[in-house]
Amino acid sequence: MIGALFKGLGTTLRYLFRKPVTVEYPEVKRPVRERFRGRHQLKRFANGMERCIGCSLCAAACPADAILVVPAENDPAAPHSPGERYAERYEINMLRCIFCGYCEDACPTNAIVLEHQYELSFYDRQSSILTKDDLLVPPDKGHGEIPPILDQLNRRPSPPAQIDL
Amino acid sequence: MPDVTLVIDGQTVTVPAGTNLVDAARTAGVTIPVFCYHPKLKPVGMCRMCLVEVWTPKIDPATRQVVMGEDGKPVMALMMGKLQPGCVTPVSEGMEVRTTTPKVRFAQKGQLEFLLTSHPLDCPVCDKGGECPLQNLTMQFGPSTSRFDYADKIHFEKPVPLGDLIYLDRERCILCSRCVRFQDDIAGDPVLGFDNRGRAWEIISKSDPPFDSKFSGNTTDICPVGALTTADFRFKARVWELRPTPSICPHCPVGCTISLDMRYDRLMRVMPRENEYVNEIWICDKGRFGMRFIESPERLRHPLIRKGDTLTQATWDEAIALVAEKLRAIRTHAGATALGGLASPDLPNEDLYLFQKLFRQVLGSPNIDCCTGAPGAPEIIDLGATLGVGKGTNLANLGTGTAVLVVGADPEEEAPLYVLRLRGIVARGGDLTVINPYPTKLDRTPARVIHPRAGTEAFVALALIKVVIDEELVANEFVTRRVRGFDDLKARLREHSVASLCDVAEVAEDTVRAAAHAFARAEHGIIVYGRVALTIGADLLNALADLALLTGHIGKPNSGFIPLIPGANARGALDMGVRPGSGKKRGLSAREMWTAAREGRLRGMFIAGLDPVRDNPAVASALDALEFLVVQDIFLTETAQYANVVLPTASIAGREGTFTNAERRVQRFRQARIPEYNTPAGWDIAQRIARALMSGNREAVTSTDPTDGRTAQRPCVQTGTSTWDYVVASDVADEIATTIRGYTDTTYESLGLTRKPQWGRQPNEAIFYDGTSYENMEGVGVQIAAEADNPKAVFTLQARVPSPIPEDDAHPYILLAVPRAYDGRAWARDSKLLPRMIKPHLILSTVDAAALEATPGALVRIASDAGQAVLPVQIDRHLPRGLALIPDVNGAPLSAVQTSPLTRVAITLHISESVEIR
Repeated sequence: MIGALFKGLGTTLRYLFRKPVTVEYPEVKRPVRERFRGRHQLKRFANGMERCIGCSLCAAACPADAILVVPAENDPAAPHSPGERYAERYEINMLRCIFCGYCEDACPTNAIVLEHQYELSFYDRQSSILTKDDLLVPPDKGHGEIPPILDQLNRRPSPPAQIDL
Repeated sequence: MPDVTLVIDGQTVTVPAGTNLVDAARTAGVTIPVFCYHPKLKPVGMCRMCLVEVWTPKIDPATRQVVMGEDGKPVMALMMGKLQPGCVTPVSEGMEVRTTTPKVRFAQKGQLEFLLTSHPLDCPVCDKGGECPLQNLTMQFGPSTSRFDYADKIHFEKPVPLGDLIYLDRERCILCSRCVRFQDDIAGDPVLGFDNRGRAWEIISKSDPPFDSKFSGNTTDICPVGALTTADFRFKARVWELRPTPSICPHCPVGCTISLDMRYDRLMRVMPRENEYVNEIWICDKGRFGMRFIESPERLRHPLIRKGDTLTQATWDEAIALVAEKLRAIRTHAGATALGGLASPDLPNEDLYLFQKLFRQVLGSPNIDCCTGAPGAPEIIDLGATLGVGKGTNLANLGTGTAVLVVGADPEEEAPLYVLRLRGIVARGGDLTVINPYPTKLDRTPARVIHPRAGTEAFVALALIKVVIDEELVANEFVTRRVRGFDDLKARLREHSVASLCDVAEVAEDTVRAAAHAFARAEHGIIVYGRVALTIGADLLNALADLALLTGHIGKPNSGFIPLIPGANARGALDMGVRPGSGKKRGLSAREMWTAAREGRLRGMFIAGLDPVRDNPAVASALDALEFLVVQDIFLTETAQYANVVLPTASIAGREGTFTNAERRVQRFRQARIPEYNTPAGWDIAQRIARALMSGNREAVTSTDPTDGRTAQRPCVQTGTSTWDYVVASDVADEIATTIRGYTDTTYESLGLTRKPQWGRQPNEAIFYDGTSYENMEGVGVQIAAEADNPKAVFTLQARVPSPIPEDDAHPYILLAVPRAYDGRAWARDSKLLPRMIKPHLILSTVDAAALEATPGALVRIASDAGQAVLPVQIDRHLPRGLALIPDVNGAPLSAVQTSPLTRVAITLHISESVEIR
């Protein structure tokens, strides 16, 4: 019986000198995998235009009905996005989102991307609804690339997504 | 037509000779893909999508006999040695059609690949995406890849306005010409056409203002791609997000079956629903674009109660209690006849029924009417309930053997869809005669046009009768059985000849004779009359009734009268008894109510949905004299400004109910959203008032016994039908079904039972109808019987020769108020049609304008015994001399000059400089 006790303590002692597998969250944040699906971002083109054209295909693909898109017509003098249509409102209810990434797949312009941010907590339900202002990346913060999945499958993105004005 | 038997993909089908292969295949459930072909349009074979293999029995050129093979079967030969377009190839006996062979599949793939070479990859932003035949067919028949480089696509400037309502995207257009053919053949407004050729081939509008048609919205429906989109729905929503709600158009007596496409609680667009009995798959622009008022921010949200000079917000309980208290007080001290009610003929049957029940049963007053009683408003003469088109009428089936008389009506303005229906009858071989004092758009259809001198239309009708009698075209068997007074009529007409009657009306005798022959000899005879006929009055309508009776065009399907009485549910208002003479005791008409109010005999009024002050500002003095006025409306109207209590009500989107259309078809509309601002339906308001009246002081609630007019002190709640415990609209409809004659089958259950497959719908309907209209899942409605449908009903001939209108040198012109669809009234709020609203003006003939030295736009002064008004002039070169027209639009000073529906006026030049009208 004593032997068993020392055997157990020995295991503890052995692990004490190993590198721990846990991290000190939130001080330390574990990096996520490249294809991790976290909080959404709406990307821009290189010229600063919104990639989102307000087509609502993400909302149609969403199995959790988490996305609301209200489209409107672009003002030709000051367009938000290439083409005639843009998303006047774009909202994602993060309480509903199941991070399946179907919206990413459905997006014809690679505008919506599930990024690596996973710290999503809210004090109330209302603030769980991310608006377009929350989702859209600032103009200087780069633009969307071809999603890695397409690279791996050796497929080119659909023509509208190739437009890089 | 003889039937033809052929084989399509192994299935043997029998169809009438002359059917094209696409339609024949549809009956067999075989899909032949099409773009330019549409079941409602004539085939042109432009898109080559319907190419199929057609094999026909080989004919020996020498003997003209079918060559038989060794197995005893005919030797088959491929027609013309190549694929044939199915939409323009008629069926023939023994034909064999193959639609799935590799050759056909190759052609379909190639055709789609070719169409897509110049089609942009716009689907994510295209409004047609999701209900697009090009998408559907590409998925079903198209190639998975294209050999053409994406970068080589031709690009045009994106949206080109084809008018202020319709946008054209030339990149998306596949040049199928459906829109051009719709405008040319169906709408009769040939305003679209092709321009250029080759790659630059494009659709253009040929009219000024561009795309000037009341049916322009339909072209966006039948467009098989997203080339034509409406300004109203552009980029509003994706079609799969819409929730189509079955509804009925509340704008005119046609009662088009429509769908309100809602996204959550917002109206996104209005689309037609198929109903072969009413609107086929079309609707007019007024119905399509004129529905934005339901979301207007100007809508009334709360009940208002007058405190001093202002109307202040109140709760429903306060408002209803005040209404009940005041109405009860007036009845106690001045009697029930001191109360009057006006209800709009645009309200649904449920509202109208409970409105009259509130007055007749609870308040005990017979004073109710469904018009505003403006001096120029014509008396409502209704031939629909007695001699209306028989039960089972379907104008969509009529053609050869049908004669239609359109008398004193301008269908394009009063009931636009009837233009399409009547044009359809003519296109199928029917005969159309238009009798109207001024030219209308219907004159442009292949029709016999008779323009009598204004005021003498009755003489034309009498001339028609005279021809029928003289040439022995009378339906003798019918007349002996069901008509009385024929000999008297003959005696009254003895001293008149056709020529003399035609002379009075200044019309050509041979045209009248031809019209009479066509009408009397036709199998089906239909008479449509409208506002101008009502203006002329009983002389004309009695003569028309006699004409229909003498020729036997009464009491059978597809024959009889179609009255276009102003108001979307005027038919329902008359049937529900919202007329002073409908009850057992005659009450005051609207016009009499104003006099009574000024004299102090009428003390309290309830006006629902009408705006008498707008129609006749002089009414304001009568409203001021009232002790208490309740107005129920959806906007704060001019009349509501005079009210003591204003009650907001739900629009058709926020409630359900039924409308009865001009052909007496009862149709149900569904609730599309929660009521705007939680406003109750009109029937519920009537119920709340009735309950408050009855609960407050039961002993004091009295009822005038309608049989003797004696006021009896007794509680109102006596019989089962007097209880006011309606929970939903169908409870009211159930009571209507038991109490209103003819409405037996109009409960919501019965209306739902009229669901059945429609003519156009086939198993492969998406190919033809996707994005065109909605399938009718709600039923086609129930047509109620007219009195004449009862084979025992007997009618008396009443026509007599009227005395012509005396000439008046001081007032040489005859003034007619003519209806306009785009009248700028409350329905037009927030609509894209606002720029098309007609501003008040006067229309004169070229001769008269020249005599006055008035150029278009000059201001003229119109003076009558009633007063005068100044209006800009428009000149119509087709208008006869001596006639002046004022369109009945918002702001037209009709009540200032009209003394009667047909007023004589003097016109003088006021200012000759031009004023912009449009």
